[in-house]
Amino acid sequence: MYKKFLSLTKNLTVSLEKGLNFLTTQENNPLYFHGALPLYTFWFLIFSGIMLWMYYIPTLDRAWTSVNYITSLPVLLKDASGQLLLKNGSPVVAAISPATGIPYGAVVRGIHRWGAAAMMITTLLHMLRVYFTDRHRSWRWLPWVSGVLLLMFVLFVGITGYLLVWDARAYSLVVSTQAWLEAVPLIGQGLSNFFIGGDAIRDFTLTRFFFFHIGGATFIFWLIWMHFIRLNEPVVTPSRAVNFLTLGFILVAAGVYPAVNVTNNLIAQYPVLAVDKAFIASDAPAQIGHLVEVIRYDAWYLFPYYLIEKVGVNWAWIILGGATILLFVAPFYPKDRRENIAEVVEAKCTGCTFCSLDCPFEAITMQERAPGSKFKLIAVVFAPRCSECGICVGACPFQAIELPNTHSKTIDADVLALLKTGA
Amino acid sequence: MSELQSASPSEKKKRVIVGFVCERSIPIHDMLDAHQALLDDPETKIIILPCSGMVKPTQMELALANGADATFVCGCAMNDCHYRTGNIMIRERLEGERNPKLRKSTDKRKVGMFFFTMKDKRPFLEALAQFKASTENL
Repeated sequence: MYKKFLSLTKNLTVSLEKGLNFLTTQENNPLYFHGALPLYTFWFLIFSGIMLWMYYIPTLDRAWTSVNYITSLPVLLKDASGQLLLKNGSPVVAAISPATGIPYGAVVRGIHRWGAAAMMITTLLHMLRVYFTDRHRSWRWLPWVSGVLLLMFVLFVGITGYLLVWDARAYSLVVSTQAWLEAVPLIGQGLSNFFIGGDAIRDFTLTRFFFFHIGGATFIFWLIWMHFIRLNEPVVTPSRAVNFLTLGFILVAAGVYPAVNVTNNLIAQYPVLAVDKAFIASDAPAQIGHLVEVIRYDAWYLFPYYLIEKVGVNWAWIILGGATILLFVAPFYPKDRRENIAEVVEAKCTGCTFCSLDCPFEAITMQERAPGSKFKLIAVVFAPRCSECGICVGACPFQAIELPNTHSKTIDADVLALLKTGA
Repeated sequence: MSELQSASPSEKKKRVIVGFVCERSIPIHDMLDAHQALLDDPETKIIILPCSGMVKPTQMELALANGADATFVCGCAMNDCHYRTGNIMIRERLEGERNPKLRKSTDKRKVGMFFFTMKDKRPFLEALAQFKASTENL
């Protein structure tokens, strides 16, 4: 039943991709680079993040101001119909403090914001694609499990990015997170204190969030290493056309919708910001004890808070925890029969390394033979990693590695038999 | 008019094409008769493998040396091998960029390679017909 479901999802996925091939060509179909795209968008976040880091001050009284300083010059605005505001043929430039600010800082922050959205979108796309095509189970469990951890850390780093701005929304999110953590029996209060860096919100709180954000992003690199460790020659960059398409999407989005801090003064000047700010903007500075009436949720990172608001902290734990557990156990069910694992024919193996180099899942290692042997090395198959694909068999010029149920000799005999009947 | 030109289609010499097909690319299990020949093209006999990367160039040479008029391999669509790199491996082997390669003496015009998804039965048959036509007078 479950396998039939996976078969159906695979059919639908391949049909969708085939349809897209008409538009993009097979070589440049972004859906074939679903694994490389999150990593590609991550680089945008790293570089734009480093630029923002140069000016960000993680203290309660300076955080919002420092972000505001970064983004105060110059910003193109749009009217309610989505058109760029024009005055005498020139774009209107909104400047909160025209004498200060970082040129195009709002665009860099926009790249950070839109890059973050792109990373979550492409990560989810990658995960769904892998799941729907049944490429997450059995010997692929480590890439899947590390991928689930990556998803969690991308979410965590994204959420802490929202907190660093330290606007009114950030404060409300912190209060909501504390309530969520405190719902954990016994250690809840400790978790909450750990989260805010003490028993109350102080300057250390922002330092702690900054650590979570940068430390989490650094940990993502380690997880990516784990994600790739069992993949031979992983695809780490999309095709050139897909690269430019993604680059264009992020740059255009950041140019048209740069990220700014919206104050009441600015809204009075440009009422359109009151409508558009859900996409591009942060609120006024946070004030301890003042929660926003309505939290503006984005589509990609703040859904846990939406859940907390709608169902309460306990149900949010149950739903999010249950979903996480399901994701972690997904690669272990249903179990496949493992009856055709590659076997090395010791007497024939010359230690040439071809099979080891070509194995797509790093299942074959070369080990030293006993002293006095004719050849120095011998291939050894690590069965749990073997996918039974037979690529190693195709790589071996000496018939020294075989799939027991699909033996080369049988294939040769089948070829000859077919020629006999076909002649 | 030469004998060859005047021969009717039924008198044409029967050809044999041997294909090595990945079971996860085209829907090959639904395309064969009881004798491993394609229903749409009985001259083409098929060996089904778990992955196109499992094909040894020597097996294609074996087919040619024993009477096959041409041979081909069909794997998953490029960038989308179920086992990640099988189609890339066989392409590079047949193009001489990765070991083991075809022998230099092998007539490479008789060796074809196709890469299609499970939804590409018709494009595969069209590509196969083109390949057969291109090898007809070799």
